[in-house]
Amino acid sequence: MNKSGLVIRLAVVIVFTAVIVGLITTQLFYRFTFISEQNLGKQSIKQLYNTVSPTASIASYLNEKELAEEVVNGLISNDIVTSAAIQTDTLLVESKNYKKSISTLEFDLFSPFQKEKKVGVLFVKINDNYLADKADKISTTNAFVVAVEALIITVISILVTYYVITRPILNIGKALHSIIPGTSQRINKPASHQKSEIGQLTEDVNDLLAKAEQQMLREKVLRSEVQVLESRFRMLFENATSGIVLVDSQGDILLYNESFERFIEKLNLPLKKNYGNYLQDLFIMKKDLHEHIRIAFANNESAAVELELISYQDEKIWVQVVVTLLMTDDFQENYQITLHDISKRKQQISLLDQKANYDGLTNLLNRQAAEQKLNQLTHARIPFALIMMDLNDFKPINDIYGHDAGDELLIHVSSQLLKSLRAADLLSRWGGDEFVIILPNASRKEVINVCAKLSSKLSKPYHLSQHEKSVSVTASMGVSFYPDNQVELLELIRSADKAMYQVKKEKSVNSNKYLAFTSDVANLNNDSKW
Amino acid sequence: MTKLTQAITILLLMHCIGSVQANEPLVVVVNKANPVAELSRSELIDLFMGKYVAFPNDDMAIPVELNGNHKIKVEFYQELVGMPLSRVNAYWSRLRFTGRKRAAVFKANEIDLIAFIIANKQAIGYVPQSLITEDLKVVYILNE
Repeated sequence: MNKSGLVIRLAVVIVFTAVIVGLITTQLFYRFTFISEQNLGKQSIKQLYNTVSPTASIASYLNEKELAEEVVNGLISNDIVTSAAIQTDTLLVESKNYKKSISTLEFDLFSPFQKEKKVGVLFVKINDNYLADKADKISTTNAFVVAVEALIITVISILVTYYVITRPILNIGKALHSIIPGTSQRINKPASHQKSEIGQLTEDVNDLLAKAEQQMLREKVLRSEVQVLESRFRMLFENATSGIVLVDSQGDILLYNESFERFIEKLNLPLKKNYGNYLQDLFIMKKDLHEHIRIAFANNESAAVELELISYQDEKIWVQVVVTLLMTDDFQENYQITLHDISKRKQQISLLDQKANYDGLTNLLNRQAAEQKLNQLTHARIPFALIMMDLNDFKPINDIYGHDAGDELLIHVSSQLLKSLRAADLLSRWGGDEFVIILPNASRKEVINVCAKLSSKLSKPYHLSQHEKSVSVTASMGVSFYPDNQVELLELIRSADKAMYQVKKEKSVNSNKYLAFTSDVANLNNDSKW
Repeated sequence: MTKLTQAITILLLMHCIGSVQANEPLVVVVNKANPVAELSRSELIDLFMGKYVAFPNDDMAIPVELNGNHKIKVEFYQELVGMPLSRVNAYWSRLRFTGRKRAAVFKANEIDLIAFIIANKQAIGYVPQSLITEDLKVVYILNE
């Protein structure tokens, strides 16, 4: 049995109480018994006195020693009397061990014939030991009875406790052990406890079980819902076309989807656990990434930046990177990084850019793009020479051989011109058969050289493939310098144009003339030589 | 003659006794020559109940009693100690075992009793008042 079980505890308490109460009651009982025995003793002695008083009176009256001795001996033959004595005026008769003390009882003896005449005193001493013995005996009996009573009460209490309380509780406990929470199993109420506290306890336990069952059912439903949701999330995440990566503040990858894996495969990179902060190692322009992130995070926004991925292949891969700061429940900074493939869009844009800035036929910069370049140069205050060139004799070829032949010739001219230029130089088709050449940081001498080269290249005859006919063109070129001749761009172009027309004009006179400088033309005008 | 007078006296006495029983007081008498003039009730009890065997003047005393349950005796003890004669007898019976001997002299009737007192100087006895003679001295009167 359990050491701190109810039955043992109850038994200990009852036995302990019984012993204490027993001791106290026994002591009290002993006191009361002793006192009552003392009173009884006194009464007995009074009765004894009544019995012996006539004889004692006679003995005292007559001072009769023998009679007095008879009385004294008779008295001490009683258990209750220790010693006795009779005293008169002239006589003292006492038992052997007589000694006067406080507890000695005194009875006056009167003359048998004159009730008012005192003739002696009878002394009787009560036997206290005898009384104590008697009280002891009674008390012992009482103590025994109390002990037996306590024993019976203890045994009955233990039995009642065991059968009425402990065993039903143990049975309930056993039943509880075998019950699986969340099922419809319930505990049976003990037959003898339909309306008792234990019955109530059973009901409460069953209520609790019912609640648990309900809750578990609810949780089951919830769990399945969560599972469905989770699988959907997983599907969403795994099948997303964008690469989605979750990294921690150290750049360690916590989670990534298949699209990200495909990106890595495409880049011919090994799948690593860490590509640096914000996956920086994957991008060519790390600085851009960090700069964007810094600004966006300072404004509590997600950073969105278009970056090119490091690739060991020819194909360029551009992605839009969106970095979002996520705070975990335990206040750790994590980053969600999504990579949208924008390579196609980039390509289209560059194609559009091409279309907008280049001439469809010659693939040279168009006029608009050239103007933009000029603007940039003037903005940057970079000195340059602007050559305005116009083909001579192009219109007749176009008219005679058709536009296709014209186009073919234009393409040929373009390629010839390109061959004679440096990498830093710019060639653009200004419109029709007009070209603009920009030579940054070029001196007059250099310009003359370049123009001579251009002229000689153009003058070589060109074989029109569809017409089995060789044609050749010449060009007129007008040059103006920025900023020496003009600071204003429009004026600069106009002055170059003017110089070019000046050349065309002179051509009728001097067929070898092909180049004129704005400054020369201006001087001519000023000098009025023409 | 003497016998005749005695007989007459007895007859008279007998006659008298009948009336004595009704209301005639009893008296305690001693010899005329006894120096004791008067006795207290206590002294009387002490003498008759055997406590003392002498008069207060230390002269030896001889109580004179009547035999058996004489009417005068019954009346005397009734008057003196307020006890029936049976209890007085019981008292004496008890004392007999102690070895105490009674000093009393027993007489069959009051005539003998009176005669004994007249003859003995130490004698003391009780008689009806009417029987008092000149040779007797009254020392105590009961039921006055």
